[in-house]
Amino acid sequence: MSAHAEDARYEPVFVGERRKRLDVILERYPTKQAALLPALWMVQEARGWVSEDAMAEVGAALGITQAYVKGVVTFYTMYHQHPVGKYFIQVCTTTPCLCSGADKVVDAFLDHTGCKELGLTSPDGKYTVIEVECLGACGFATPVQVNADTIENVTAEKVPEILAGLK
Amino acid sequence: MTAPGGHQLVNLTIEGRPVSVPAGTSILEAAKTAGVLIPHYCYHPGLPVAGSCRMCLVHVEKSPKLMPSCATAVAEGQVVQVHEPRADEARKGVLEMLLINHPLDCPICDKSGECELQDFTYQEGPAHSRLRDPKRFNAAEDFGGDVLYVANRCILCTRCVRFMESVHQDAVLNVSERGDRAVIGRTEGGDLARPWAGNVVDVCPVGALLSKDFLNKARVWELDRAASICTGCSQGCNIMIETRDTSVVRLKPRPNPDVNAFFMCDHGRLDYRWMNRQDRCAAPATGAGESDWDSAVTAAADALEGRRAHIVASASLDNEVFWLLGRVAKKTGGTVAFAVPTGPEAPLPGARDLALRADRVANATGAGLLGAARKDDPFAGVGPGDALVIADLDPAGVPVSALEAAGAVVWLGTVHPGSLSKLNAALPVANVAECEGTLTNLRGRVQRHLQARPAPGMARPAWSALADILMALGEEAGYQTAEEAFAAMAAAVPAFTGMTYATIGLRGAVVASSAEGAP
Repeated sequence: MSAHAEDARYEPVFVGERRKRLDVILERYPTKQAALLPALWMVQEARGWVSEDAMAEVGAALGITQAYVKGVVTFYTMYHQHPVGKYFIQVCTTTPCLCSGADKVVDAFLDHTGCKELGLTSPDGKYTVIEVECLGACGFATPVQVNADTIENVTAEKVPEILAGLK
Repeated sequence: MTAPGGHQLVNLTIEGRPVSVPAGTSILEAAKTAGVLIPHYCYHPGLPVAGSCRMCLVHVEKSPKLMPSCATAVAEGQVVQVHEPRADEARKGVLEMLLINHPLDCPICDKSGECELQDFTYQEGPAHSRLRDPKRFNAAEDFGGDVLYVANRCILCTRCVRFMESVHQDAVLNVSERGDRAVIGRTEGGDLARPWAGNVVDVCPVGALLSKDFLNKARVWELDRAASICTGCSQGCNIMIETRDTSVVRLKPRPNPDVNAFFMCDHGRLDYRWMNRQDRCAAPATGAGESDWDSAVTAAADALEGRRAHIVASASLDNEVFWLLGRVAKKTGGTVAFAVPTGPEAPLPGARDLALRADRVANATGAGLLGAARKDDPFAGVGPGDALVIADLDPAGVPVSALEAAGAVVWLGTVHPGSLSKLNAALPVANVAECEGTLTNLRGRVQRHLQARPAPGMARPAWSALADILMALGEEAGYQTAEEAFAAMAAAVPAFTGMTYATIGLRGAVVASSAEGAP
């Protein structure tokens, strides 16, 4: 595969426990290639994002090319191609939430975290804020997803308190 | 009925024309045999079938849906209609979608004139766009090697991705992102500076992948084309030499399933500037300076009279030339020798028996069949009893010691001899782009090349100059054309028996003593 994968500075993801977990996942599918999405999830879970080196490693583990893995990673929006903050904050800004002041929630998160722009990471490396389409909690606008947890009925005023709870 | 390969023949009707093709052929390929070109983008005969562009949809009678003709095999009794209201409408729809983000910048696009998007839109696309929104914009990107990627023009047919993955087997390209943001992407650090990667420019049906070497050099409708053979190595890839006015501006591969499929390597593709060299030998000369042809031929014959010809030739010269050189050697009791520059071999893994070969000359096989000897130092052993004949070499490569040792020196060259310390006659000859002739590749395939540009000044094809010298030496050699010289060679040399320019054609023919494809 890529020369990057053999780079001494790159630490493989699929070693020890994670290699065993991958083997269990592989058993669920008729071909190795079919396990690409869960394998990438494991990488993101372990590293927080999917680097080119990791794409090469996944490709080698599943018998597909690094270029193909990269195509899949870039196709989906939920695989991070750059490092993100420890807390990845997704604010729903689809119509009902926007009507309920989601834009002010976004601004409040950007202000209080120190992230200057959507998608950028705060200088302390703790936060990344992005807008997302419907989180499926329209009745509890505005929902905010922090990593795997969803917080409902968020308003701009509640933002400092939420962030305090993350520390 | 059975086809020559043992395949069952299938009979069908395409656009009202009866067609018989081997079972398993796609409708698209079958249509080509009936002279019907079904519009297509993702399909390329040298690549795995993707069936993703939906441009080749045709109506097949009794089928409820339109069928992609590139991915549908022929069946007995099928009735295929290419131009039928539903199929026309479908393809028009595909074209309208492809053109949504296409910049329509044909006036400044290098591909204009040989662009399949342009051709098929002109043939059957929508005359107007219904789009009122701004078009997507992506910056052009240097893909490395000889390739520039202009993403705005890309229709994402994935031919380049499949070429790199399946044929080059060095997957550096992919489709990145999705929807209207999708572009051809590269792996980190992956570029197209790879031996065969330049072919992505040829397989690209639109102006998205361009040759940096050819960029903004010419409009393709201004170019003249001549079928030729690449002299970059002993593979003998079939090429088109393309000239603007009389300058060679690019080389393109010419399909030949027996030699190079649809491809040629970057080494050969970009090695054409020497064909346009300006420091050419354009006038004949004797030891006393520039002269006419008759005096120079007489001077050459005088130099050979009573001496052994020690002939050192470029191994990219034609079969005809090596045969005539051999006759000069035989007449004078001399020898013909050639050196072969070598380089690393670079195979194209997805093609059968195709590589940039280690021997970086075009005709070492032919030279060997015609009695010339391959030597590390072909100049070794020149003595005062020898007439050194130098055929199409660079003057810088001629050792001074050999010139001094030789009794006489005859220069037969495309490049000006400069100030050689000894020179009895200099005969200006045409290079491979300037004359007709044949070359024999490493599998013994004899292939013709045609004239693409005029020879400079008074230069003549080397076979013609040599025929004159032979006649001055009292030999029978009154050939008026390269074809006559070849016919005489075929009559005299068993390996070429029965071959004529007509039977060789543009696909080539294998010499008698060599089995093509043998290990």
